[in-house]
Amino acid sequence: MGNKCGAHTFPYIEAKNKSAKVEHEATTSKIGEDQIFYCNQRGLETQDAVNMIVNGFCKEVFRELPMEFAMEAQKLLDVSLEGSVG
Amino acid sequence: MLQIKNLQAGIEDKPILKGIDLTVNGGEVHAIMGPNGSGKSTLASVLAGRDGFDVTGGEALYNDNDLLDLAPEERAREGVFLAFQYPVEIPGVNSAYFLRSAVNAVRKHRGEEELDAMNFLKAVKVKMKELGLGEDFLKRPVNAGFSGGEKKRNEILQMTMLDPRLAILDETDSGLDIDALRIVADGVNRLRRDDNAQVVITHYQRLLDHIVPDFVHVLHDGRIIKSGDKSLALELEEKGYDWLIKEAA
Repeated sequence: MGNKCGAHTFPYIEAKNKSAKVEHEATTSKIGEDQIFYCNQRGLETQDAVNMIVNGFCKEVFRELPMEFAMEAQKLLDVSLEGSVG
Repeated sequence: MLQIKNLQAGIEDKPILKGIDLTVNGGEVHAIMGPNGSGKSTLASVLAGRDGFDVTGGEALYNDNDLLDLAPEERAREGVFLAFQYPVEIPGVNSAYFLRSAVNAVRKHRGEEELDAMNFLKAVKVKMKELGLGEDFLKRPVNAGFSGGEKKRNEILQMTMLDPRLAILDETDSGLDIDALRIVADGVNRLRRDDNAQVVITHYQRLLDHIVPDFVHVLHDGRIIKSGDKSLALELEEKGYDWLIKEAA
């Protein structure tokens, strides 16, 4: 595409559920530091803690999806988590 | 076991601990009391290695090693346990999985064999019964939707399973009714041995009726202004902190 292109992200989220917990990728901060510290304090490595927390959070979401989407999403998550967060 | 010398720490540029000296030996229970904002929870956080606190002076030796030099997870594996004032919720992660991972991280570090699911369940169920936790508890996500009392009992369960050398309990009694308080205190007392120690941070003498401390320290404005035995806690209950603060000034 040449070197004169760029990607511009405009973080925008429309939430219609008052209790929703959403953050846009472009604006999101680190996942709960308190949660990581809690895991660390119980002896868990940060990388393991992050995997556990993200998996747990996503599991809550996947539960709401139809079976085949849920399985697909879980596989994607397993792949994308490997060494990507830390 | 723990030697704190002239420890100074704060958040950003704000000093909170202004020179703490405290020695804790195996077999001892120390109570730390003091008015709100005196630095009690900061002390617990600094010892456990929570991010955001800057140590600006002094040192803390744990079994003759520099505690403050270790990462939080290394401190935990070396046997430092913090019972959180506000236990953290981790949605979607079931309590059994979380606790077994923690227990095995510590066991691995100690060179012990990791527990398989069967042996873990066997061990944890005995402890849960002692703490009055129902079996469904293991399937529930870590602290998510727990009542205040359940969260605190979960802290004690984790502590029991991890068998720490140095346990710091940060206001574990706050928000507990009298029955839960007794259960939690019994849980702590069962752990007491000559080769471990507990540091109990509390606002209330009430807890110390159940967990009888060897030493009571009063923290004010980032310093220990008075140390004594358990009678000091009774005196505080009766007279409050003002007389001590005036005495120290």
